[in-house]
Amino acid sequence: MHPQLQLLVALQDMDQMIRETEESREQLEDLGFRHEGLEALKNAREELSGKIDPSLASWYKRLTARWGHAVVPVVSNLCTGCFASIPSSFVSKTNVDKVQKCESCGRLLYWP
Amino acid sequence: MDIVEVLKHTSPALFLPDLQATDKAAALAEMVEGLVSGTSIHNPDTILQMLQSREHLGSTAVGPGIAFPHGRTLAVQRLTILIARSHAGVDFDSEDGQPTHLFFVLVAPPQDSGHQYIKSLAALIDRLQDAGLRAQLGEAADYDAFCAALKGA
Repeated sequence: MHPQLQLLVALQDMDQMIRETEESREQLEDLGFRHEGLEALKNAREELSGKIDPSLASWYKRLTARWGHAVVPVVSNLCTGCFASIPSSFVSKTNVDKVQKCESCGRLLYWP
Repeated sequence: MDIVEVLKHTSPALFLPDLQATDKAAALAEMVEGLVSGTSIHNPDTILQMLQSREHLGSTAVGPGIAFPHGRTLAVQRLTILIARSHAGVDFDSEDGQPTHLFFVLVAPPQDSGHQYIKSLAALIDRLQDAGLRAQLGEAADYDAFCAALKGA
């Protein structure tokens, strides 16, 4: 996987964790989980974000604001964000060249 | 959600009956390795990073001798549960300071229909309140015996 995509996936996982903790905090704490490290996690998120290429970070932010998720998995050669077909030529490029975007919706593509 | 439903998300290949690690970082790494070798999941680094972030939020060792490392990640396409057991015990920063012997690792995709992941966590936590059951799970000979005890069979 492209190193920048690895960071973007980690960033999105972290954003989801922060969001879910804030939204479901009461439910999770009823189960016994504690979240005393939330502020530290937010700081770690900022640190991680700083390692991402500024143009990709900006694109990530824009997509997240628009769609909720900026990075989406490709399943059966389909972008799972908009269900557009992803050319098979993209697959061979994913690990080496650059972070790939869906040509239809612009989401960042991840091959799980 | 009942335990039978929860157990549909695991398998014998996702059962580690004798975890070797004795500290938190090594235990998480060993369990992620187990997840990858027991499934078609390809991206261990992403899963490990997510589980480490979750532990920074607060330890998931919330039961007596039990931990539930969990979270959502793009690296999986469906809810997957790994069960691990440590005879020696792992220092997992539990609230009571005691070593952790049983682990239920739940990894879910960013979106899962009906919040199966939270419901599975709740069902496991509820079922594992039973001290007698926890002792049985510590001694279960294999995956089938472990699951039978968990189901109350």
